[in-house]
Amino acid sequence: MKLVWTIAAFGSLAWYVLLTGYVAVRGAKDIRAMLARLSSRKENRT
Amino acid sequence: MSHFDWLVDGSIVGLYLLVVVAAGIWVRRYVGGVQDFLVAGREMDVYLGVASLAATEFGIVTCMYTAQAGYQHGFSGAVPGLLQFAAMLVIGWTGFCVKPLRESGALTLPELFEKRFGARVRWAAGLVIVLGGLLNMGLYLRLGGEFLVVVTGFDAGRLEWVMTGLLALVLVYTVLGGMLSVLVTDYVQFVVMSVGLVAVTVLVLVNVGWQPLVDAVERTHGAAGFSPLANPERGWPYLVFQALLATAATLTWQPVVARVLASKDARVGQRIYTRTSPFFLARFVLPGIWGIAALATLGPVAFEALPESLRDDPSMAAMPLYLSTALPIGLLGLLVAAMLAADMSTDSSYLLTWSSVIYNDLLAPVRKGWSESKGLFVNRLLVLAIGAFLLFYGLWFELEGSAWDYFTITGTIYLSSLSVLIVACLYWKRASRAGAIGAIAWGALCPVAFLAAQKSEVAALVESAKSIGTYWSGIAAFGGAALAMVVGSLAFPERKERA
Repeated sequence: MKLVWTIAAFGSLAWYVLLTGYVAVRGAKDIRAMLARLSSRKENRT
Repeated sequence: MSHFDWLVDGSIVGLYLLVVVAAGIWVRRYVGGVQDFLVAGREMDVYLGVASLAATEFGIVTCMYTAQAGYQHGFSGAVPGLLQFAAMLVIGWTGFCVKPLRESGALTLPELFEKRFGARVRWAAGLVIVLGGLLNMGLYLRLGGEFLVVVTGFDAGRLEWVMTGLLALVLVYTVLGGMLSVLVTDYVQFVVMSVGLVAVTVLVLVNVGWQPLVDAVERTHGAAGFSPLANPERGWPYLVFQALLATAATLTWQPVVARVLASKDARVGQRIYTRTSPFFLARFVLPGIWGIAALATLGPVAFEALPESLRDDPSMAAMPLYLSTALPIGLLGLLVAAMLAADMSTDSSYLLTWSSVIYNDLLAPVRKGWSESKGLFVNRLLVLAIGAFLLFYGLWFELEGSAWDYFTITGTIYLSSLSVLIVACLYWKRASRAGAIGAIAWGALCPVAFLAAQKSEVAALVESAKSIGTYWSGIAAFGGAALAMVVGSLAFPERKERA
């Protein structure tokens, strides 16, 4: 069990380090695209 | 004595609060109607969904109870994280329930149930979701406030003011921008929270070392510190209950499911689940390490520094006490900003989630014909009303036992019945409304009765609650709800079927 928890702890840490930067970049793009779509939808409604 | 420096650490926290509230208020201009307010116009893509789900499902309260679990049970305290990681991965990969749920176009789970079981089931399901959800969330502010008081060295008498201030900031942007503000602030909060989590964990590992952490667990808990099966007070009932809970939460916990419902399509919803799944392990393991570090380094004398009110059960305050003295100036500010980020994202999402169920499902019979602007106004009022409830509930409720146990009991109020309902609704042709009502009633009554017995003035009731225990009570709620669904559906089939 000690090995399982060692893998879980360091695996979680590695996943966080790798994911944070990637999600920060891609997430910002998602926000821009989402707001652009909502903006054009709102214009169409008015 | 906390190392928190009001000039350096306070400036980091102040800057973070300014950015996040400004971002939350700025996006309010994109809210054009109720659908934009509740599900961001269903325009959310994968990576924003990953950031939002991770930020929502990690608050100060999560950090507190997972660290408490690490302090009290060692590594085996992180078993719920392993189970939820597996549940998210498998359900996201297969699309079990979540794919047809997103394809149904429903805004909430009860709306899906109405299509199969009728309006009364929708209303009853909405009621247990709100009841379970609000009781569950009722402790968030108090635990968040306690963390901040210990870490920053605040006077404990100011706890209520810290709680009120936190809530007021969250309410400002949630009321104005709804899900859009929640998503954008979640994104900022995910980045700040992740940087803080990683930096603090690395520092703890460097300062204490991995092997001393393992040794401390072995010395204090023995084999039970690594496996719940070696703990006679936990064993298989604990494992079975946690597995049921993890699966049910993945399928029906409204703040989690809201990300599937707000996603662009079912495939995006599934990908959000699979890509966020490791986070559900990390959210237990990393703060668990902090709790274990407190176990390894704090002696009995250290707890004398705690405010009087927190000394009775120091397990909850052990982690913030350890961090307040172990982290240097600057990193402590980053930690507080990260925890505030985590807490605000959770509070805002949960406020919106429960208000959306009240508006969409409980008010469904009376809101026909309402204009978009009236719908928006009512939604904003509901968010404010829930905020007021949280403040008062958090002030008077006294927690007995572990925080995680409290959350599992209150969560079970609806997780047990709604997980049965969603599976039966989507995959069992003979499921009927009688079965659905039976499952909802049993699933809600069982944990409420257990919670009432625990809090009762009658000694015999308190004793019987103790002898049954949280895990058997939870298993009974899930098993009874499934049985009620099967028996009710077979005994009272739908009319078409009878004909």
